[in-house]
Amino acid sequence: MKALKGVLVTCDAAVKQILLHMNTEQHFIIQDLDDTHLVIKGEELERIRRALDVELEKNTYSFE
Amino acid sequence: MAVLDPTPSGAQHILLPFLYSQSQTSLTRLYTRPSACLAIYRLLSPLERQIIMSLLWLESSVPASVFASWVHPNKVAKQQYDTAISSLTRLHIIPSTPGTLAKLLLHPTFKASFRTALTGGGTHQSFGVPADKGEKRSVNVEFLDSYAVERWETILHYMVSSGTGQSPVRPSQGVLYLLQRSGLMSAFGGGSVLRITSAGFQFLLHPPHSQLWDLLLQYLHMAEERRMDLVGVLSFLFMLSTMELGQDYSTENLDQTQNAMLEDLRDYGLVWQRKTSSRRFHPTRLATTLTSSLPPLPSSTTTSGTDHVASQGFIILETNYRMYAYTNNPLQIAVLNLFTTLKSRFPNLIVGALTRDSVRKALSNGITAEQIVSYLTTHAHPQMRKNVPLLPVTVQDQIRLWEREKNRVQADEGFLYTGFASQIDYEYVLNYARQLDVVVWENAESRCFFGRADGHESIKGYVTRLRADANGGGGQGA
Repeated sequence: MKALKGVLVTCDAAVKQILLHMNTEQHFIIQDLDDTHLVIKGEELERIRRALDVELEKNTYSFE
Repeated sequence: MAVLDPTPSGAQHILLPFLYSQSQTSLTRLYTRPSACLAIYRLLSPLERQIIMSLLWLESSVPASVFASWVHPNKVAKQQYDTAISSLTRLHIIPSTPGTLAKLLLHPTFKASFRTALTGGGTHQSFGVPADKGEKRSVNVEFLDSYAVERWETILHYMVSSGTGQSPVRPSQGVLYLLQRSGLMSAFGGGSVLRITSAGFQFLLHPPHSQLWDLLLQYLHMAEERRMDLVGVLSFLFMLSTMELGQDYSTENLDQTQNAMLEDLRDYGLVWQRKTSSRRFHPTRLATTLTSSLPPLPSSTTTSGTDHVASQGFIILETNYRMYAYTNNPLQIAVLNLFTTLKSRFPNLIVGALTRDSVRKALSNGITAEQIVSYLTTHAHPQMRKNVPLLPVTVQDQIRLWEREKNRVQADEGFLYTGFASQIDYEYVLNYARQLDVVVWENAESRCFFGRADGHESIKGYVTRLRADANGGGGQGA
């Protein structure tokens, strides 16, 4: 048995695909578990959150 | 009005758990002061008060069975009675007799002091000593009210505008420290700049009375650390709560602790003194209503007025996300500005809208959708109260959706356990982890599961033991 240290990310399927795409640029995924779960490196979490926010924000439009 | 009651139905006053944690000796010392007995009595629930009143004028004890026979023989009533008795026992107002509660009586000190409080007389001076008249012009009530409001709003306004780039008047260092200690504000970026926390925003939504007690409770905890005499601190607060508004009191028979407290309480707006060295002080409305059900601030200027809910509501929210707030209070405007985009301002009205950006800004400050909805509900204009449901469903749902959108990723720190040699091994460890309640994700097919970090040490220990057993019992190593 072995134990891998990391952060379990629970997200929807769409976000997971974005994360997989981001992973091709800079590797941070330790293990791909299923459609909605990933284990990633703990120290990368904040960077990922920010990058994801920017990515998702590209799909929103405002009247102002 | 129920909201104004310091012990609203069901909820206990916030100070009582603190008193429960005090030793019998401290409480007995506290009970030597009639004002403290009266103040505590006012914090208790109606049933507890009734029990005290029934026992107060009896010289001998009453068998518990007699008392229990007054209680309506249904489950709810019995439970309420038991809770009340246990609360009084924990306060040592009713001494706990060893074994069964065969007889009920009041603590002799409490009984004597409370009797004095009700009938007057004695030389205890625990209700404060009025200062000699005719030295200078006396201060009127309006002045004290405006002073208290000014102090209190300074604190709240400082909290609400922190991090918005404005620089409101800073409260004193003592207040800032208190806010930080209570977790309502926290220093960002390691600097001296304080910003409001999620707890702080919730605090702003509380009625003034519980805001005041929240801070005072924190003050009591700090007093414990500063090795101040807790009984002195408590009895001074209770003394203030029984004083008369507009009357000035002498500082001469205050002890050292209480003189030190005067300085702190002046910062919070509970007392007013002409000069720091003045030998008299005036309690403000904030202080004199501490244990009463009256509003702690004059109602015309009530800041986050959850009291007078109907008459104080000022927000109209439309289905198109537009918001009209009938107010000119800078504090209320600042609170609204936390989660709305303000468009225009008129002498008695501000117009704004809930937008995705404004709500997201609030969410990223740690404010939750639920808090925004509850704030809007509490402060809804009387006109809005005709609507069922009160707030437009579209807006409520959208606020919650924006929150969900913001939190599309949930992260749990921990360990992925994988590579188990056999299904049995996997199940053993997984069951153990389930007992610890640390399993976040599991998959039986690939024989792996994810456990939160706090369970790791225990799981590691368990696996080591399992291995040792297996090696001893026949080489079933994992």
